[in-house]
Amino acid sequence: MSTELRGLNLSYRYSGGKPWQAKPATAALTDVSLSVGAGQSIALVGSSGSGKSTLLRTLLALHKPHAGVVELDDRPARAGSVASLRWYRRIVQYVPQNPAGSLDPRMTIQQLLQEPLHQLRVRGDHRRMIQEALERVELDPAHVRRRPGELSGGQNQRVAIARALVTSPKILLADEPVSGLDLPLRNTVLDLLGRLVTRDRMGLLFVSHDLAAVAQLCQRTVVLSSGRIVEEGETARLLKEASHPVTRQLIAAVPGLPAMSESAKHTVMADSQSSYNRSGLHGRNGTMLLQP
Amino acid sequence: MLRCPAFIKITASRTLAFGGLILLIGLLPWLSAQSPEYTVLRARYADREATDEALGAIRAELGLDQGPFHIFLGWLGGLLRGDLGTSWISNTPVGPGTMTALGVSLTLMACALVVAASVAVLLCIPAMVRGLAGKAARDSGAAAAALTSLPEFLLASMLLVIGAVWLGWFPPYGWQGIHHAVLPALALGVPAGGLAGRLLSEAISAALAEKWTTTWRTAGAGSAAIGAAVVRRALPSVLNQIALIIIGLTGGAVAVEKVFAIPGLGRTILGAASAQDIPALQAGMLALLATALIVGSLATAARYALLGPALRSGTMPMTPPVRAARRWDAVVPLTCAGALAAIMAGGLMRDPFTSSHARLAAPSLLLPFGADASGRDLLARVAHGSMSTLGTSLLVVLACLAIGLVIGMFPLAATGPVEVANAAPPILVGLIVAAIIGPSAHGAAIAVTLVGWAPLAAHTAALVQEARARPYVGILPVLGVGRVRTLWRYILPAALPSVFRHAMLRIPGTALALAALGFLGLGPQQPAPEWGLILAEGINYVERAPWAILAPALALALSSILAVSTASLGKYPLRTRRYPAPARVKAR
Ligand SMILES: Nc1ncnc2c1ncn2[C@@H]1O[C@H](COP(=O)(O)OP(=O)(O)O)[C@@H](O)[C@H]1O
Ligand SMILES: [Mg+2]
Repeated sequence: MSTELRGLNLSYRYSGGKPWQAKPATAALTDVSLSVGAGQSIALVGSSGSGKSTLLRTLLALHKPHAGVVELDDRPARAGSVASLRWYRRIVQYVPQNPAGSLDPRMTIQQLLQEPLHQLRVRGDHRRMIQEALERVELDPAHVRRRPGELSGGQNQRVAIARALVTSPKILLADEPVSGLDLPLRNTVLDLLGRLVTRDRMGLLFVSHDLAAVAQLCQRTVVLSSGRIVEEGETARLLKEASHPVTRQLIAAVPGLPAMSESAKHTVMADSQSSYNRSGLHGRNGTMLLQP
Repeated sequence: MLRCPAFIKITASRTLAFGGLILLIGLLPWLSAQSPEYTVLRARYADREATDEALGAIRAELGLDQGPFHIFLGWLGGLLRGDLGTSWISNTPVGPGTMTALGVSLTLMACALVVAASVAVLLCIPAMVRGLAGKAARDSGAAAAALTSLPEFLLASMLLVIGAVWLGWFPPYGWQGIHHAVLPALALGVPAGGLAGRLLSEAISAALAEKWTTTWRTAGAGSAAIGAAVVRRALPSVLNQIALIIIGLTGGAVAVEKVFAIPGLGRTILGAASAQDIPALQAGMLALLATALIVGSLATAARYALLGPALRSGTMPMTPPVRAARRWDAVVPLTCAGALAAIMAGGLMRDPFTSSHARLAAPSLLLPFGADASGRDLLARVAHGSMSTLGTSLLVVLACLAIGLVIGMFPLAATGPVEVANAAPPILVGLIVAAIIGPSAHGAAIAVTLVGWAPLAAHTAALVQEARARPYVGILPVLGVGRVRTLWRYILPAALPSVFRHAMLRIPGTALALAALGFLGLGPQQPAPEWGLILAEGINYVERAPWAILAPALALALSSILAVSTASLGKYPLRTRRYPAPARVKAR
């Protein structure tokens, strides 16, 4: 059975101020359902403040949703103690926004990659796993004795991804991993993520408001606005026939997108189609569960 | 950690801390380990033998045999009826005496406030003038800082020598008219005004560096209008610290009243402590506590009045001005440290205990600092005193560091104790500790530790908060890292270096606090060579042999300059009573 992460009818509110301040709570998510299976790449787009990070935190079981459940292959993952979630974290991993900043400057690369293996009680040869993770992100394993301050920004970015990969997860949640990167670096990271999906059959939930990156990487796209899913479907079709104003606004914000529509979109289509065919997922129905 | 709202934790923490303080004062008779019945027997019935029977009768008379619960409730009940208690020594109510003394102390503090306000305004003028002329901020010179940083008891002693003994302009002691108040008010007001002035001028520089002043100027606002607006902007940010400085006057007043023999609350408390008249001590403490509470509430009210709704709807953060490091920054502390080292090198080989010289011998080549009233070598005593004072303060600082780190990890629960410890002047805590375990070197060390951890805990709390906001800590739950390991392996290493440096910078200041307790007789006892004690002894002979206080005063002055100049050397600003600017994490 292939691995699948599902969020069903998730709602989340940020509490307001102190009781006497009468500050309203923010409804950050309302009745959101989506799922990511192995070998799928799904984009989560929306303007800033639309609840993308909140959804990711909920899917990571970092906080309890006020309604709904998160489950991995029908086993619920509830926010709770570190020990009770180890099984989940070994399979579902995370690349944060600004990955390079998520590395403790005091630790060596070896220690940074060792930490999840050790804390998540992964069995096996840790040294070899670290080697492999570094190879997957094309980073010279000779760097393991260095600290983040001794590597370039792009190398650190790849260390952070390697750390997410070191426990061999099946599902990867990435929160705007390419925002704020320069163009060559952005393309390197996108290629890397794309390979994880097509070659290693990993499931990817890719959060972005950058539709050009989404077009390059993801088969399907979910559009979030004010904490609700307003539109979703195959990326290529969505870009061509966006019906919701929020989606159109996002498309209009990317200058190159309409121009590249014909040629580039076909490659996207072809790519995703071929990977679909190769991975045998063809015919499996869409994994988006859209609740009214 | 418990999942309850922050404000409940903070309120509970404050209530507990304040209640704890009241409980501590109420339980003093029971806590006192010094068997007060001996003292009372001797004071009241000089003719009686100290038999078990007589002592038992006195214990029963004082109600000491009834257990802590009864003692506390009895005291609290009396308090609620307006009865402050009955003196153990004179067997008369302590209420009237305490009130008279409180009146004297409040008058003295009011005079001192006038002095302090003048000093603070004088110190702020340069910053305001420079800022309005469009020049960059500069910190007030090290000399000005040092002059205003002398501890009250030292300044009082020096003013006594200069103003009353040498110049003869003012009476040396007593409390009969306005001319009696001049020197004490100066001794109390100058250090307070100095500290407040430096904080305020820093805030003024910060306000002047903000963009809106440029906008105002472009719009044609005059200097007077901008100046007034700048003061309005700067004042609220330092009002809390100024309140603490005013509360600190209550502690300073104890020392100043002792030097000038003023019949105020401080002297009453000090007398009660040394006579073991615990009801009088309790009443005095309570009067001081009430004063401090009223001052604190007034400052909060003033802050609300000045800031208005802006305070409630959010914060108005103020970035401290960026000061250019000056080439001579390190010269002053290095000179002071060098001079102290020279005193130690010169005196450590000499004998501080034997009376081998003429009493109060004048300084000479063989006896550079002269001799004290017992004919002991003052150079040797001051040098050995620096070893014990500085050594003790190192231990105290390390203890404070440990406590501060642990408590700082739980910022909300620590709010109340931090506030109380921050506001409590070390002298008052020294009095309580002395009342419980008797005056001694380790009693003084405990007292200074009891208040000294608070700034370090506040600093740690700020750094912990900052570390928790960092992305590399935020991601830890996803990596399976638990709470304990997060604190131990990630947050502590991020906070430790700057808290440690801050702790080390507090050593000279701690030494001064210890010396203040020694000066009041609450620290080491004769014949221990201790700076405060040597100074207190010399004060009695100041007219015949001024050098008897010059030697310890010199050592203390060097330490206070060292304390201020090292504090401005480190990134950690003057405002030791507030969360400091977050230290940058060094990326390697
Ligand atoms: N810690 C928080 N406390 C209160 N409100 C928050 C908090 N974090 C996010 N929000 C609010 O929740 C909404 C969604 O935020 P977020 O998920 O960060 O959006 P996105 O990642 O799409 O930019 C926003 O309106 C934001 O203001
Ligand atoms: Mg976000």
